[in-house]
Amino acid sequence: MLAKTGIERLDELLKGGIPLKSNVLVYSPPFIGKEIILKRFALSGLQEGENVVFILTDKSFKDMKEEMLKLDKKYEEYERDGKIRYIDVYSPSVELQEESEWATFVDSPINRERIASSIIQIIKKEETKYRIIFDSLSTLIVYSDAKAVFRFLQVLSGMCKRSNATSMFSMTRGMHEEIEVQTIKHLMDGVIEMKEEGARFQLRVQGCGEVISRHWIDYLLEGEEIRLTGAFRMGRVA
Amino acid sequence: MIETGIPKLDEYLGGIPPGKSIVFRIEPGVEESDIAIHILHHNLEMGRKGIYVVSESSPKNVERKFSEFNWDRKRYDNLTVVDGYSSLVGAPTQEKYVVEEPHDIRSYEDVILEIIEKNGGGIIVFDSLSNLLDMCGERDALEGIERINKDAGSAGFATIYNFISWPYKEALLYMIKRLFNAIIEVSMVEDVGVRQRMEIKKIDWNENEGKKIDFKIFKPDGVRIYIPKISVIGPFQAGKTTFIKSISKSFTPIERMGATVGVEHATADYKGYRAEIFGIPGQERFLPLLDKLGASSMGVFLVLDSTKPNEFEFAKKMLEKFSGVPCVIVANKQDMPGAMRREEIKARFGMDMEVVETVATERRGVYEAFERMVEKILECLNAG
Repeated sequence: MLAKTGIERLDELLKGGIPLKSNVLVYSPPFIGKEIILKRFALSGLQEGENVVFILTDKSFKDMKEEMLKLDKKYEEYERDGKIRYIDVYSPSVELQEESEWATFVDSPINRERIASSIIQIIKKEETKYRIIFDSLSTLIVYSDAKAVFRFLQVLSGMCKRSNATSMFSMTRGMHEEIEVQTIKHLMDGVIEMKEEGARFQLRVQGCGEVISRHWIDYLLEGEEIRLTGAFRMGRVA
Repeated sequence: MIETGIPKLDEYLGGIPPGKSIVFRIEPGVEESDIAIHILHHNLEMGRKGIYVVSESSPKNVERKFSEFNWDRKRYDNLTVVDGYSSLVGAPTQEKYVVEEPHDIRSYEDVILEIIEKNGGGIIVFDSLSNLLDMCGERDALEGIERINKDAGSAGFATIYNFISWPYKEALLYMIKRLFNAIIEVSMVEDVGVRQRMEIKKIDWNENEGKKIDFKIFKPDGVRIYIPKISVIGPFQAGKTTFIKSISKSFTPIERMGATVGVEHATADYKGYRAEIFGIPGQERFLPLLDKLGASSMGVFLVLDSTKPNEFEFAKKMLEKFSGVPCVIVANKQDMPGAMRREEIKARFGMDMEVVETVATERRGVYEAFERMVEKILECLNAG
């Protein structure tokens, strides 16, 4: 059983998608498309009839909603149907007062206990498939340390596997010590790593079950789209 | 002695002697781990000094938490907040007591010492221990906390720590177990109804290690010992509905011409105990349904019309469906002529049965019956 990423050739590379109930880290420098992968993954879940939980540490639930609406007008409808929930760890810290019946607020990224309990309250309904979009782990790590976040993730991934949730976490390259990155990667079932190589953007997949190629693959950023242009059939690499 | 204000827990703790430290070890993901703040509030209400050390969330959150229970922080001039959060995230603060170096446990010690020197006796709540360990380094934090506990003790304070039990290393958990005087584990129970469970894992000033209570935090009412299902059975017209009404504050009646025709539900709330009560109709035709309706009951009231011993055999049959479930026999209608007394009923049902005489219409004996029931359920929980 696989969860499609919603990016056509990435799904091809992943032989259909990410294994259900797994957790995947999207690790990249800023501004080269990490958020697009997360948002596409969320949208693809909604289109498949699944539910989505956003955990947001760097933008408000309202900003996320606006960004998602740009990808798909039906987003409004998904939200109205109760398919989308937000755990907003950003708004209270900047004293935004906006409320929503779909949003839970956590006052601080240090308050991991509140984040965990808010997530579990939502995903414990076992029949429903959930996609968890966690943007971003970097903020959590910066406010405490990787070991504390590691323990938090251990608990969280246990919860996700017990219920029916597939999760995607973002982490920004350049914000952390290598040892911290390794600590976090250690807990993931897969990593999608992105980099900028001269004028080219490339990504590669580690873990994530069976994939066609584990080499670096070129991609293009076009507005809100990511397009894999590198070849990866039969072991050939661009 | 310092109390928690949580029924039964106070009985098990026997009060907290000054100088003692308690850790609430909370399973991550437990909804609303607000026990510590209730203990703080109870002590503020009792006029004791309360010091609340926040490091995990903003001091503004204290106000929010207080207001969820309709408490007003401003009313308590005996409350001091220590802000270990704002410096951590670089946020402005209006608090008087601020920990300038939140990565250094000594910075906490300095601020706390300054406060307890001026105040005599009370309670210090740390929210949370896990955060201090993460921020100040595990070994340093524990050494500092040991000193804080000592100083707090000589100033007449007890200390309470919220500890989220993230998967820390065994060695650390062992050190924590040694360092603190009491450890109370808080976990979730989800069977008939969702609730939380406290279990005393360690206590070094009495013998109540291993005691458990089930509870739930209600907003705005507070912490209640919570029982998600108690069934009420008994022959037709024994007064089950009247009994349920008499112990309940809310009630959903399902009556037709004075006879109950479906399962009634009510919430009983008494002396810090709250229970969901389900009344099961007493007509014979409902007997086959008893298994289903009574399933997963944590206790059962058998309500009898004490003037009708001819119905007792049928009542016994009903009760057989609840073997092993704590039971209290409600010997109702004691105001009627010819009512059988407690001892006679015991002789009929078994001398080890709990029988309480009541007049449900006048609320006589009903709370006693409820209290006995809660006691029995807690005994049962603590026995197994």
